Amino acid sequence: MTAPGHPQARENRSGLVGQSVRRVEDDRLLTGAGVFVADRNPDGVLHAVFVRSPLAHARITSIDVAAARRAPGVVAVITGAEMAEMTHPFPPFLMLPGLYTPLFHALSADKVRLVGDPVAVVIAESRYLAEDAADLVDVDYEPLPTVASIAEALSPTSEPLWAKAGGNVMMDHTDTFGDVDAVFAAADRVITERFDCPRQSNQPMETRGSLVEVDAATGHLTIHNATQSSHLLRWAVAALTGKQRTTTALKRFITNKQRRRAFFAGAKQFVGTNRDGLKEQDNAGPLAQLKKDRSFLGHMNKIAVGLLGKDDYPTVKAQDIGGGFGSKGPVAREDIALAAAATSLGRSVKWIEDRTENLMDGGQAREESLTVSIAVDSDGTFRAMRVDLIIDQGAYPGFPIGAPLITKMMKVMFPGAYRWDAFEIRSRVVATNKGRYIPYRGPWANETWARERMIDVVADALGMTPAEIRLHNMIGADDLPTSMVTGPSIDETMSTKQTLERALELIDMDQFERDRVAAAASGRRLGLGIACYHEAAPGPPEFWDCIHPGTGMLTPEEAHTTVEADGSVLVYTQQMPHGQSHETTYAQVAADELGVRIDDVTIVSGDTDRTPFGFAGTGGSRGGPIGAGAVRTTAREVRRQLIESAAGMLEASPDDIEIVDGNIHVAGVPARGVTVAEVARRAADDGASGDLHGAPFEVADVYNGAGDGGWSVATHVCIVDIDLGTGLVTFPRYLVVEDCGPIIHPAVVDGQVRGGVAQGIGAVLYERTTYDEDANLQAATYMDYLVPTAMEIPEIEVHHLETLSPGENDFRGVGEGGMVGAPAAITNAIEHALGARVTTQYLPPTKILELAGVIVPG
Amino acid sequence: MTADRLAAEESAGGSIVDVALTVNGRSAPVRVEARRTLSDVLREDVGLTGTHLGCEHGVCGACTVLIDGQPARSCLLLAAQVDGAEITTIEGLAEPDGTLHPIQQAMMQAHGFQCAFCAPGFLMSAVALLADNPQPTRSEIREELAGNLCRCTGYQSIVDGVEIAVRRMNGDSSGGSS
Repeated sequence: MTAPGHPQARENRSGLVGQSVRRVEDDRLLTGAGVFVADRNPDGVLHAVFVRSPLAHARITSIDVAAARRAPGVVAVITGAEMAEMTHPFPPFLMLPGLYTPLFHALSADKVRLVGDPVAVVIAESRYLAEDAADLVDVDYEPLPTVASIAEALSPTSEPLWAKAGGNVMMDHTDTFGDVDAVFAAADRVITERFDCPRQSNQPMETRGSLVEVDAATGHLTIHNATQSSHLLRWAVAALTGKQRTTTALKRFITNKQRRRAFFAGAKQFVGTNRDGLKEQDNAGPLAQLKKDRSFLGHMNKIAVGLLGKDDYPTVKAQDIGGGFGSKGPVAREDIALAAAATSLGRSVKWIEDRTENLMDGGQAREESLTVSIAVDSDGTFRAMRVDLIIDQGAYPGFPIGAPLITKMMKVMFPGAYRWDAFEIRSRVVATNKGRYIPYRGPWANETWARERMIDVVADALGMTPAEIRLHNMIGADDLPTSMVTGPSIDETMSTKQTLERALELIDMDQFERDRVAAAASGRRLGLGIACYHEAAPGPPEFWDCIHPGTGMLTPEEAHTTVEADGSVLVYTQQMPHGQSHETTYAQVAADELGVRIDDVTIVSGDTDRTPFGFAGTGGSRGGPIGAGAVRTTAREVRRQLIESAAGMLEASPDDIEIVDGNIHVAGVPARGVTVAEVARRAADDGASGDLHGAPFEVADVYNGAGDGGWSVATHVCIVDIDLGTGLVTFPRYLVVEDCGPIIHPAVVDGQVRGGVAQGIGAVLYERTTYDEDANLQAATYMDYLVPTAMEIPEIEVHHLETLSPGENDFRGVGEGGMVGAPAAITNAIEHALGARVTTQYLPPTKILELAGVIVPG
Repeated sequence: MTADRLAAEESAGGSIVDVALTVNGRSAPVRVEARRTLSDVLREDVGLTGTHLGCEHGVCGACTVLIDGQPARSCLLLAAQVDGAEITTIEGLAEPDGTLHPIQQAMMQAHGFQCAFCAPGFLMSAVALLADNPQPTRSEIREELAGNLCRCTGYQSIVDGVEIAVRRMNGDSSGGSS
């Protein structure tokens, strides 16, 4: 519950916030009445199957689709070359200093760069018939040498994936904070270790999928898609499929007065609200891109002109989405190909990714090498840190967000909750013949893994305990206000030290030591691991500009709150819920703010025709701090307007009026009130009708979020029990002490934390996207990619601190942290148990037994 | 259109079969391709999309249905193989008057799921478990549910939900607190 006396608690009139109320979503999801994209089967829909490369790296010398086109039930086969005629390539989205972003099309025409690269799409009356015909597509490949690892990609003799990149290093940039050389020279000791994290995959239980419906009369596209960001997909499809002659497009733009007005008004508003952000943009990124490849200029011009000349952008919709964990944020090549195919055929087309496709290129993550040096004094005081980071981004860059931006997030977060005099990170991104590297829950998480792993290494070298060295160096309440060495300011919400202290209180160390001795006597090893982190959720106001100047303008989020003539409340959000329970938590926030019952509130999401614009969708732990903040501020204004309207009817001053359970009355005199519905009906009868949704009460607002309490933090402590006979690791105890500020819905928060920890356990002990030395995918089914089950995931204890900040909307994000902390705590515990250095994040039983000296590395 | 689909299948040399299914107590005769999976028939021909497809190779368990009371992966069966069988899907769990099955009520109380894409499989597996073993221990519940994958929850809330259902079905109407 929210602490009594806190401003939010005082305003929680019906007090729903802080309670695990019944989930609104469950009524349909527990009865089979949910509607996921695969559940939509409109009459006459066609089914798409992609023809994919069996080779990791090859030139396409010929492609013969004649037999496939003749196959029964086939309506069309579109090759890569044909698709390139219909669509623009994916352009570089965020050009960063030292980065080259290759351009690529929805389907590959000349060259394939990974196993699973789509080279054609078959569209038929059923998926079965489309699969049959896909087998008849005859592609001749001329194999090229493959690039299967970071080491190979760094070699100057490796076969370049991208002709204009000048090798396979796509980005190389160093960020320095403070006089690193001097601090390193002055420190008592320098300790260095390299950590490698193998490839993992997001693996939501629902794969990606899209149904593109074409309106026969107008050609308008309605795209039902399992996307984390509906507006991003809408604009990406409009941009990349809007291919037309420049003169035609310009003429259409000039002659369409409404379109022209909307464009200039939008541009004016954008420049007006983002003046500071735009000033901070520098040219280093675009210049780095230009040096290697000027082609993006022409393509971006054509895309821009195409957008201007387009009257009709698609509608993107989704009701239920079966998880994402970052993988449904990026725009997929298949999304573009499907929209282009449906447009050209004038018929509705559906593609539901299968699990093997999802494991091949539905999103992979975390393959990173991190060499960390810490300069430390003999008393354990951290002085400076140097990091050499290399990310393997696979073949095609994630769009719009991939490895390059994630290096910047890691740059800012790497120092963690500790004091440093200086910090430096060299960030490289390499291309290999593997699946797309994309954001996966806590995309920057390996900074926490490598740092927290390294801190244990340093503690070991200095003869300190992991807890001692952390407490000695961690920023505490006495240090405030302060800043991270990488820039972001730190306030009282950065309570990592309190979570560590609380976690240590909850562990009986003496008992653990006794258990440890007893276990050793029966062929088992116990170990205890600690990991601490803080994450920006949403972060202080300057956070995104510390990541990259100018990106701060991407953070604000809009919401609309309306009261309909019947008194029902609708809240419109650009968020795209895919498991986070927004329909419940946002209704709690809005109902409390307005003073109505939760059943009177409906959350509207997943429809670009109705919801406010925003590219962010759901991700980045933004749902609590920014999305719910926008709900709160708009609901608060609606409440003010309701009271103002009611004041006349009640002949009372607005200051004396309150709203309780939908009844508006003078405080303490509920019997002489009017209902929200009566006030709304009267306003509607008087002709009140909002511009956006036509409701009698209607408020739209953009909420910035930043500054209202910035950090979400936690300490994870786990105890591992390792069987030296089998190499299996179990968890007698897994403990999380987290602080995401006041909690809207405790069961939802606990679920987010536990789900994240489960993915961290999977990452360390079970899951690996394995490729062989020729970049052939070895884990293409769930027989090989091992998602942990109820037998592998332990009970996870979650404890909460609820540090309050002075901000008006103090909810802080909680979606990502579980996954951020878990790999570090687990690998630290395993090193402690085995007394052997752990430098990889993937520790299956064979690796455990090797580390334990039971078996000899093969 | 189904007719176009079947005509194309026949011209491709595929067989069309008549299958008599009883789904959730109702007769559901279908005329489908011999190679059509039970899951596709349930979802697209019978129109019950509550049964989900997560992997289509028998590991994730999202497509679990009851066939003559026994849990089975509907993605690994052809509809033609279960001609004459009685099938229960998630849509058949609630009473005809809409009263939810105790496992559904319990999952609601426990906040068992998040995205709930996996929920149909877990619910059917749990119903089968409770039919076989009305008073399973927590570790038995975990073991029985290990044939179903969930990516959101870390399973704890789902196991909590089954425990509440056990209590409800054994006469404790409150189900206790989770």
